[in-house]
Amino acid sequence: MPEGKARVRRRGLSRRQFLGVAAGAGLLATGGGRRVWAATGGAKPFAGVTINGAMFEHTFSAVLKEMVPEFEEKTGMKVNLDLQAFPVYNQRADLELSTKGSAYDFLNITFIYSGRWIGAGWFTSLEEFIKDPNRTPADWGADDFLGGAVAVFKNKRGERFGFPWLGEAQVMTVARPDLIQRAGLKIPENYDDFMKVLAAVNDKDNVKAFVSHKTHHWMWIHFMQGFGGNVFKDPPENLTPTLDSPQSIQAADFYANILRSYCPEGVLSYTDDQMVMAQVQGRANISMHTMSWTMPVADPAKSKVADKVVFAMVPAGPKGLYPGVGSHALGIPVGSKKKEAAWEFIKWAVGKEFTWKLASERDFTSPCRLSVLNHPDFKKKMTKNGVDLVALSTKTFEISEKGGYMRYRTVPVFPQVGDKINKAIEVITTQQMSAEAAMRQAQTQAIADLKRAGVKIDG
Amino acid sequence: MSECTGSIATVEPSRSASRPVRGWRAKRQRAYLLGLLPALAVLAVVTVAPAVYLLVTSLTPLSLVNPETAWDFSAPHRNYLSLLQDDRFRNSAWIQVKLSVFTVLLQLLAGLAVAMLLNARWRFVEAVRTTFLIPMVLPPIVVAIIWKVLYTPDISPIHRFLAAVGRPAGAMITSPGWALWAIIIADVWEWFPFTMLMLLAALQLMPDEPLEAARIDGAGPWQLFLWIVLPLLRPTLLVAALFRLVESIKAFPLIYILTEGGPGTVTEVTNYYAFLQAFNFSYLGFASAITVVMVAATFLMSWLIIRMVGMEVDVE
Repeated sequence: MPEGKARVRRRGLSRRQFLGVAAGAGLLATGGGRRVWAATGGAKPFAGVTINGAMFEHTFSAVLKEMVPEFEEKTGMKVNLDLQAFPVYNQRADLELSTKGSAYDFLNITFIYSGRWIGAGWFTSLEEFIKDPNRTPADWGADDFLGGAVAVFKNKRGERFGFPWLGEAQVMTVARPDLIQRAGLKIPENYDDFMKVLAAVNDKDNVKAFVSHKTHHWMWIHFMQGFGGNVFKDPPENLTPTLDSPQSIQAADFYANILRSYCPEGVLSYTDDQMVMAQVQGRANISMHTMSWTMPVADPAKSKVADKVVFAMVPAGPKGLYPGVGSHALGIPVGSKKKEAAWEFIKWAVGKEFTWKLASERDFTSPCRLSVLNHPDFKKKMTKNGVDLVALSTKTFEISEKGGYMRYRTVPVFPQVGDKINKAIEVITTQQMSAEAAMRQAQTQAIADLKRAGVKIDG
Repeated sequence: MSECTGSIATVEPSRSASRPVRGWRAKRQRAYLLGLLPALAVLAVVTVAPAVYLLVTSLTPLSLVNPETAWDFSAPHRNYLSLLQDDRFRNSAWIQVKLSVFTVLLQLLAGLAVAMLLNARWRFVEAVRTTFLIPMVLPPIVVAIIWKVLYTPDISPIHRFLAAVGRPAGAMITSPGWALWAIIIADVWEWFPFTMLMLLAALQLMPDEPLEAARIDGAGPWQLFLWIVLPLLRPTLLVAALFRLVESIKAFPLIYILTEGGPGTVTEVTNYYAFLQAFNFSYLGFASAITVVMVAATFLMSWLIIRMVGMEVDVE
């Protein structure tokens, strides 16, 4: 120590130290702390970060919410996950996304709204996250997803805006195949056989031959396309509706007759749950919905017919086979201020490990990960009463990808047209109008709505 | 100037004395206005401003996917012109009229009947009075779920009972002829306690003298009711009817849960149609136009009813 000078000992932080701590805290709060923390060797990369998200209620989202503490423990992040009923979620998400606000950091991208939400620029492109090896290691497997399921969440340039957690195929669930056998018939593969089966088994053992639910713009479309009709002329390029084509009218009449003659009383008010319960309780025989909904029919813990139920491809119409497929994904709203943290959560939620856990330990039957779908243990688990459901689901996706017939569903204006289809089927089934009159009315109303949306219509 | 005449002096009020009285009244009014200003400001923000914004939005083709259309006034009449040509809107207005007429009428009748019963001052009746309020205090969504259970043949105790006695019934909510009645029944069940409470209060405040005088003159129960009770209840009936009329236009939870406006559009009332346009299709401009028309119709209806029925009662 130099002579004559006393050393003054400072108390507390220096200005330089204080600024350094503040900068570090700021980085952590914005979710960018991972790199800083890694550099400093911290154990929890997102400590202090809270993200908010929402999804609709489903087996997947219920288990996801249950497992969130595991993710929080691993990353230090806090995740608030809101679950809402399907229609409520869609309306709220639509409104929230339109504000481009920052209330949510991750959201479910619902299949029928994907075109609208992505097309309007309400979700963030995930390409920069996927292509950055610091954010997404190669073994995360961005290509390990069902191609048809991911395609829905790409824009025209092929950029991905969401990764699917669900890839569901529309299948025929036959709760009482024994009644069909007893009638000397087989599981139907075409519409003629299908009608013969319905007539033969209806009300046998107090079981209604068929059951459906009120979202006709999902349940009826494969019949419409099976007869040669379509919702639009050539979606997504030409969105002129074709609801009043002779084929669409014939399909509407066909389906309405089934609802009227072979379904439980009140089927027009049935939700998905009511439809499934009717089969689980052995009150209804055949349904045509996605596997993720109808799997409880094969659950011995819940279903009276678990030992009997079989799954099969939906029957083919005169113009071919058009089973529906759908997928939902997780994405990051464009207004989120915590995109890094949100991506971390999405990577975990649709990652191989979590997907496998769900598929192997829980009854999640419609994963999108190819590595999970092709795993021998999963295939064994998904063989019910001799039917390989993975093969059935994969075949359905292949058919839809080849045919491209699901494009109608992801155009931004589909909800408006879907509503007209629902109303038309109800009106025909309750005999308020003939099929021709109802479908012509639906066509006129759909055109008016599409014009209001600024869509160019032929003629 | 006063004059002293040896008697009590009279002083004529001078002009300058009346000026302080007027000045005091003006000050008082200013003070009242000042006191009301904060409340008026809040009212303007929460009521007037959104109403003005609704009107402005109704003049645009605003859609959530095209937010730039929020200020497109190139064709301000387009939504209203669309409404004139929209069969579904006209149908929804007619359904709304039917719903409102029947629900208000039945709620008044049921409310009056139960109020008359509760006014009888029997101990048993007084003990069970509170139970009549239960439907009204339940959250509307709970009421809707209760009736969804009652109307679903698979699980409804009513349907099971009818099937057991050999008279199975179809599902009301999916029948075009009965779906609206299903909504009406549920709505009346939910809201008749409201009219009942208002009418019971009016009955209990009713003066006894006209009734006693009429009895002495030999009037029977029905005559008492028709010529004395009912006229005295008229203002309360009018107020109750107006309240319920305005509320009936807001009917939503029952329709959303039970029928979603179906089957077809037989239970699709105007506000449900506006909801679909706004929240399912994101046509906020068009939905705003529907709502503006509804508000105007409600005001007009209320004014007409008050003018036609009047509020004064003469029991002579």
